[in-house]
Amino acid sequence: MSLSGRAAIAGIGATEFSKDSGRSELQLSCEATLAALADAGLAAHDVDGLVTFTMDNTAEIALARELGIGDLRFFSRISYGGGAACATVQQAAMAVATGVADVVVCYRGLNERSGQRFGQVQAWAASQENTNGLDNAWSYPHGLSTPAATVAVQARRYMHEYGATSEDFGRVAVADRRHAATNPEAFFFGRPITLRDHQASRMIADPLRLLDCCQESDGAVAIVVTSPERAADLAQPSVSITAAAQGSAAGQFVMTSYYRDDIGVPEMGVVAGELWRQSGLGPRDIATAVLYDHFTPYVLMQLEELGFCGRGEAKDFVADGAIELGGRLPVNPHGGQLGEAYVHGMNGIAEAVRQVRGTSVNQVDRVEESPHVLVTAGTGVPTSGLILSR
Amino acid sequence: MTEPHDGEGSRDHALIMARCEEMKARGETYPRLARDPVNQPMINNWLEAIGETDPRFTEGEAPPAMAQVWTMYGLDPRRPARDPLHGTMAVLDEAGYTSVLGTNSDQTYGRHLRLGEQVSVTTRLESVVGPKQTGVGEGYFVTTRSTWRVGEEEVGSMSFRVLKFRPGTGRPVVDRSRTVRPVLNRDNAFFFEGTRLGELRIQRCNACGTLRHPPGPVCPCCHGTDQGHVVASGRGTLHSWVVHHAPQLPGKQLPLTIALVELEEGVRMVGALEGDALEIGAPVEVVYEEIDDALTLAAWRPIGSAEPAVRSAETSADVEPALGVLPAWELPITPTLVVSTALATRDFQDVHHDRDLAVARGSRDIFLNILTTTGLVQRYVGEWAREAIGPGFVVRSCELRLGAPAHPGDTLRFVGTVADSAEEAEVVTVDVLGMVSVGEHVRARVMLATGVGEDS
Repeated sequence: MSLSGRAAIAGIGATEFSKDSGRSELQLSCEATLAALADAGLAAHDVDGLVTFTMDNTAEIALARELGIGDLRFFSRISYGGGAACATVQQAAMAVATGVADVVVCYRGLNERSGQRFGQVQAWAASQENTNGLDNAWSYPHGLSTPAATVAVQARRYMHEYGATSEDFGRVAVADRRHAATNPEAFFFGRPITLRDHQASRMIADPLRLLDCCQESDGAVAIVVTSPERAADLAQPSVSITAAAQGSAAGQFVMTSYYRDDIGVPEMGVVAGELWRQSGLGPRDIATAVLYDHFTPYVLMQLEELGFCGRGEAKDFVADGAIELGGRLPVNPHGGQLGEAYVHGMNGIAEAVRQVRGTSVNQVDRVEESPHVLVTAGTGVPTSGLILSR
Repeated sequence: MTEPHDGEGSRDHALIMARCEEMKARGETYPRLARDPVNQPMINNWLEAIGETDPRFTEGEAPPAMAQVWTMYGLDPRRPARDPLHGTMAVLDEAGYTSVLGTNSDQTYGRHLRLGEQVSVTTRLESVVGPKQTGVGEGYFVTTRSTWRVGEEEVGSMSFRVLKFRPGTGRPVVDRSRTVRPVLNRDNAFFFEGTRLGELRIQRCNACGTLRHPPGPVCPCCHGTDQGHVVASGRGTLHSWVVHHAPQLPGKQLPLTIALVELEEGVRMVGALEGDALEIGAPVEVVYEEIDDALTLAAWRPIGSAEPAVRSAETSADVEPALGVLPAWELPITPTLVVSTALATRDFQDVHHDRDLAVARGSRDIFLNILTTTGLVQRYVGEWAREAIGPGFVVRSCELRLGAPAHPGDTLRFVGTVADSAEEAEVVTVDVLGMVSVGEHVRARVMLATGVGEDS
C-alpha cells in the first residue's frame, strides 16, 4: 500500500506578504484558510482536520473557533521549524487516505518580521529544559546561535570539499530574485539583482552574505487537502499528492548536525529516496522544483541529495542558468523565500500547486508535458518533501 | 555616528583641527599658582578619603599622588582664556562632543613635596586626534602636558589624555554576563565541570570504550548506560569555521570567529576561535574562557601563533620570588568613596558627585575620578612596598590607562606583579591591574626608587 495518489490538494490561500502585517498571527492564519477554502469551493464547516507547525503560535482550536469550524476529527503538529512544511501536507494526506478526516487544512501564519525574528538570537531555544535545549548547550554559549551562522559552518566545509565559491551560492540568489521580479505577489517584485550585487552585499556570517539569506516576512499560507474523488468535484483542477515524505538522518541535530561524517544535509537524501520510491519517478521527470532556500548553500546541497546532479557538482549545475526560468530545471519560479516571502516553506507548496494547475505567473512550460513538481521543506533540520502531479 | 567624509562632518572636523592648531601654537601657558600652599589639612582630607596610611604623609611630606590636586581649579568657574585644555574642551563642546572621559594619566615625580611649598603649573596642548569611534562614542583624544614647579625647580610633570565624545554614539558595551548559558543536567554537567577545572572532557562509555561528543546517557554503540570520561589532549584541527558579523550576540564582541574543531581523539566540538581564521585542517589548541565563577567555555586558538598567556619564565626567573606578586586587594566602591575622593582631590566635575547629571551624560551612575584611581594605585603599591622594600622607597612615576568606569555598587579588585627589579639601578617596576565587574578599570605601571630613604 502506498500513499501515492490517495490524497489531493484542492485549494490554496495566502495573505499578502509584508514586513508588518498590522494584525495578529491568528487573524493571518484565518484569512489564509478562508482564502484556501474559497479557492477550493469549500466552506468552513466542511473542514474536519487541521495541521500546522509545532512552532506556530495559533492553536488549531483557536483557528477553528474563529472560523466557526465545528467538530474536528484530526489535528496534528510537526516539529523542527521549516522542516515541517511538506510534512503538514503528508499528515493531511495520511489522514485523508485512511479516512480519519475528509477535509484537512494545513496552515502557517507568522509575523516573523514585525514580531519574533528568527534571524536574531533566540535565547529561549538554549534555555529549554528538554533535549533541544541540551543540544543547544554545545553551540549557543559559544556564540553560534543564529541560523545563518550555523549554516555558514556547513557552507565553509562544503566549499572546502567541493570547490564551491560564494559566487556559486550567489547564482541561487540571482535566480530567485529574477523570478520574484516578475511575480506581483513577491516582496521583491520588480527588483532583480546581479551576481555583483550579491558579491557586494555585506557579510552576515562569513562565508554567507546578506543576499545568501532569505527575507524575514509577515504572512500566512493555507493548503486544503482532501480525497482525489472529492477534489475532482471542487472548484479547481485537482492536484495529486504523488509522494509525501519526512526524513531525519543518523546523528541528526537541529541546525548543528556537525558530529557525523557528512556535515551536509543527508536527511534530504532520506526524503529523496522516499519520494522517488513512492512516486516511481526520477529527477528527470521533474519539470520544476521548489527547493527550500532559507540560505543559498542549502539549495546546492539539495540538488545533490535529490539526485539532480552528482555530489559536489551543484556548482556546475547552477552555473549555466539551469535553475532559472527557461533552464533545465527552473528552481523556485515564484522567487523562493529570498524573493517572494519567508512563510516557512508553505508559500513554496502553494507555488507548486499553481505550477501543476498551470496558473503560475512564471509558468514553467515543461509542466505541460511532464506534470510533476517537487517541493522541499527546511534543511539543516529533520525535513520533508512532496511531489505534486496533475 | 557621522562619517567624517560627509560634507558637514568634514567641515566640523576641519574647524576643530584648525582651532586646536591655534591652541597648540600658543605653547606653554604662564605659570599659574596653586590656590593654597602644600598643607596638612588638605593632605589629611585626602588620606582619609583614599585610605592611605603611609606615616611620611603626616610628618611633613605630601603624597606624590596629590601632585595634581594642588593646582586643580576647584569650583571657581572662571578659567584663564588662554588655558589650552579648557579652550580645546570648549571647541569640542561647541561641535557636540560634550562628554569627557579621562583615558591616560602619566605622572613623573622629581621629589616629594613638603609642607608650605607653593606649587605652580604650566600647561600646553600636545595633540588632538580624531574623530575616533570608541566604545563610549565618537570623539577626539586630547593630550596635554603639565609641568609642576616650586619656584624655578621642576618637581613633577604629567601627560594627561581625555576623550571628548558625543554622548549616545557608542557601540553597545559587551556585557559578558549576558552570555547564553548552557542548560545543564546529569548527562552533560561533567563537561562544564571539566572546563571550570581547565579540563576538556570527552564522554567515554565504560562498557565499550567509545568516545562521544556531544555526550548522552546511552551509548549508541552498545547501549551501555555507565558513562565516564577521558581528558582530551586539547589539540585538534579546524574542520570548519564561521566569522559572525550580524546580528549582535548577547555577551559577545563582534566579529566573532567560531570554529568546529576535530579533536585528536576523533570527536568534534564547537567553540570560539581566537585570532584570525585559518585554513581548514590548521592545528588548534584549547584555551579556557572564564565567563564567571559558574561557567567556563572551551575556546580555541591556532597552535604556534599565539602570544604566551603568562609572562615568560625567563622574565619571572629574574625576579626574586618574594618580589613577584602583590597580594590582591578588593575595594568596594560606594557613593561615599566616589564623592569623598572627588572632593578631596578637588575635582568638582559633576559626573563624580551628581548622579542625575552623570546619567544625563550617558553614564550609569557617578564614577571614580582619575586622581583617585592614581591615589588608590599608589596606596596599593605603597602598602606592598613598605613591607617588601622598606619604608624609604619613593614613587618616581605612575602611568595609568583607564578603561571601564568604577561605579558605586561594584568592587574594584587590584592585582599586581613586579615587572622588573634592577638592583643596580635601585628601581622596581610594578604593574597593576584594577578590575571591575565589566572589565579592566585601570592598567598602571608604577616605578619605585629604592635605597633613597636615607638621603631624602
